Amino acid sequence: MSAPLSDLVALTGRELRRYARDRAYWVGQIAFPLAFIAFVGYGLNDVTRLPSGASYVGHLATGLLAMLVGSGAVGGGFSLIEDRASGFLRALLVAPISRTHLVLAKLIARVLVSLVLVTGLGLLLAAFTPVRIADPLAGAVAVISITAIFVALGVALAVPLRRLDSFRMIAALVTVPLYLFSGIFYPVSTLPAPTRWIAHVNPLTYGVDLLRHALLGVHELPLPLSYGVLCALTVFAVGAAVVAFDRGTRG
Amino acid sequence: MPPASTNTAIEVRGLAKHFGESRALAGIDLDVPRGACFGLLGPNGAGKSTAVGVLTTLLVPTAGTATLLGHDVVRERAAVRRQIGVVFQEPALDPELSAREQLTLHARLFHLDAPAACAADWIERLGLAEHADRPVRKLSGGLRRRVELARGLLNRPGVLFLDEPTTGLDVAARARIWDELRALRHAGETTLFLTTHSMEEADVLCDAIAIVDAGRIVASGSPGGLKAELGGDVVTLVLERPDAARAALMAHPGVLRVVADGAGVLRITIADGPRRLAGLLECARDAGILEVDLRRPSLEHVFLHHTGHAFEDAGASLAQRAAGERRHA
Repeated sequence: MSAPLSDLVALTGRELRRYARDRAYWVGQIAFPLAFIAFVGYGLNDVTRLPSGASYVGHLATGLLAMLVGSGAVGGGFSLIEDRASGFLRALLVAPISRTHLVLAKLIARVLVSLVLVTGLGLLLAAFTPVRIADPLAGAVAVISITAIFVALGVALAVPLRRLDSFRMIAALVTVPLYLFSGIFYPVSTLPAPTRWIAHVNPLTYGVDLLRHALLGVHELPLPLSYGVLCALTVFAVGAAVVAFDRGTRG
Repeated sequence: MPPASTNTAIEVRGLAKHFGESRALAGIDLDVPRGACFGLLGPNGAGKSTAVGVLTTLLVPTAGTATLLGHDVVRERAAVRRQIGVVFQEPALDPELSAREQLTLHARLFHLDAPAACAADWIERLGLAEHADRPVRKLSGGLRRRVELARGLLNRPGVLFLDEPTTGLDVAARARIWDELRALRHAGETTLFLTTHSMEEADVLCDAIAIVDAGRIVASGSPGGLKAELGGDVVTLVLERPDAARAALMAHPGVLRVVADGAGVLRITIADGPRRLAGLLECARDAGILEVDLRRPSLEHVFLHHTGHAFEDAGASLAQRAAGERRHA
C-alpha cells in the first residue's frame, strides 16, 4: 500500500472505531427516523395528497434518510471540535501526515457510516413502507454528495467555533433552512412560487430528489441535472473543506 | 535535503512570535547540542509552550529562524515532523481509543514496520501492559502521561519535546517519568527538549538550560555553571526596616549583591556565607530581623539574579499575556 493510502486507511479506521463504539449514536440514528415516520408520516399519510399520487409515508421516509445523512455529516465537523478539545488533533498535526488526509478520513468514514445507515434503514422501511432499493448507484451518489457538502459545512463551522454549544446553535441555524426548503417534508413543486427558487438553489434539494429516486423510484427534477449539480458540488465541497481545515490549523 | 549540521540538534536565531499585540517570544537564540537534555525554564506565560509550538511546526514564527537536525521548521515541516516526538503539556490522546490502538495508529502514520508489534513493545517498556486495552479516558493522569511518552518515543525521534512533562502529576507518577527521562538521557540517542516551571526538574534532569522570562532568554548554560556564576551563597533576610540596613550590608566583607525583593525581603549574595553569617546579622540587627535563611545558590536565585524579580511574581504578572497566548494556540 502506498504511504498516502495507508495513512488514509489508518485514519479512517480510527474514525470508524469511534463510531462503532458509540452505541447511543446508533440508537439515535435508527430510532429518530422510525419514530418520526410512525408518528408524523402515518398521521399525515391519509390527509396528504402528493401531486404524483404516491403515498406520503414513502416521501417522508426517503426525505428523512437524506436529512439523517446531512445532519450526521455536519457531525463530522463536530468531531473536529472534539479532536481539538481532547488535544488529539495536535498529536495528529505534528505527525508526518497531510492535512488533506485528516479531512478526507472524516469524510470517508462518514460516507461509510451513512451508507450502512441508509441501506439498513432502507431495508427495514421496505417492510412496512413503499421504500425499496430501486437504484443503488443513484443512492450511493446521493449519500456521497450530501455527506461531502455537509462535512464541508461542518468543517467550515468547526474551524472558527471552538465551543460545542456555539457549533450546535450555528449549525442548526444554517442547516434547518436547508432541510425545510429541500423537499424533505413536501415536494418542491408544492412550495409557494415565491419560495420555490430557494429550493432550486439549495444543493440538498438535488440530493434529496436523487435519494428519493434511488429508494422510491420517484423524482421531481431531471436526473442528469441532479447528477451534474451534485458531482460538481462534491468536488467543490471537498476542496473547500480541505482549504478551510488547512487555514484553520495554521498557527 | 541539506545535511544536518554537525553537533547541533536545534539552532534558533532571533525567533519571535507575536499574537496580536502580545509578544509571546520576543527574539530568542538557542543552541541545543545533540543528545543533550535541554531545559527551557521559566514561569507560566514566559513563552515556553510557544517556543515548543514553533519548533514542532504547529506555529509559524513572526520573525527569526529555527532548524531542527538541519531542517528549517517552516520550510521543511514534513522533514521536521518525521524527526520529532512531542509530549504536550495538555492531554493529546483520543479518550475513546485504548493505548494500544493509539500507539498502533501512530506507528502506522510514521510508516513503521509491524505497527502492532511496535506498539506492544512500547506498552511493555513503559509498564502499560495491564492498562493497554482500556479506553484512555479511564486511565489515571500518570498512566496517560506514560502513554503520551510512549507515543512520543515510538518513532525513535531525533528530538523529543516534552512540554511540562510532570505538571499535574503526583509525586510517584512524576518520579516514574523522571526515571524514564533519565534512562533516555543515558541512552543518548534522542535529544530531549523539555520545558518546565519546576526549578527542581530542570536541576535534576537537564545538562543545559535556558531561562526564559517575558519572551526573552535571560540566561543559559549548565545548571551547575549558572549557579556557580552567582559566585556565592544566598542569605535571605526579612527585616522590619530593610532600607535602614541596605547600605551597611552592601559594604559588609564578602557581599557581592543585595537585591530588595518586596515586603522587607533582602536577598544577599555573599561569598563563604556560613562563616560570615554572624557578622551579617550583627550588621542588620538595628533594622529589626524577622527571618533569616542561608542557602547554597539554586536556580531560583539564578532566575532572581538575572531578572531582578522572583519566579512566582513573573508568573502572576504575566497571567494576562499567557491568557492571550492560550487564546491563539
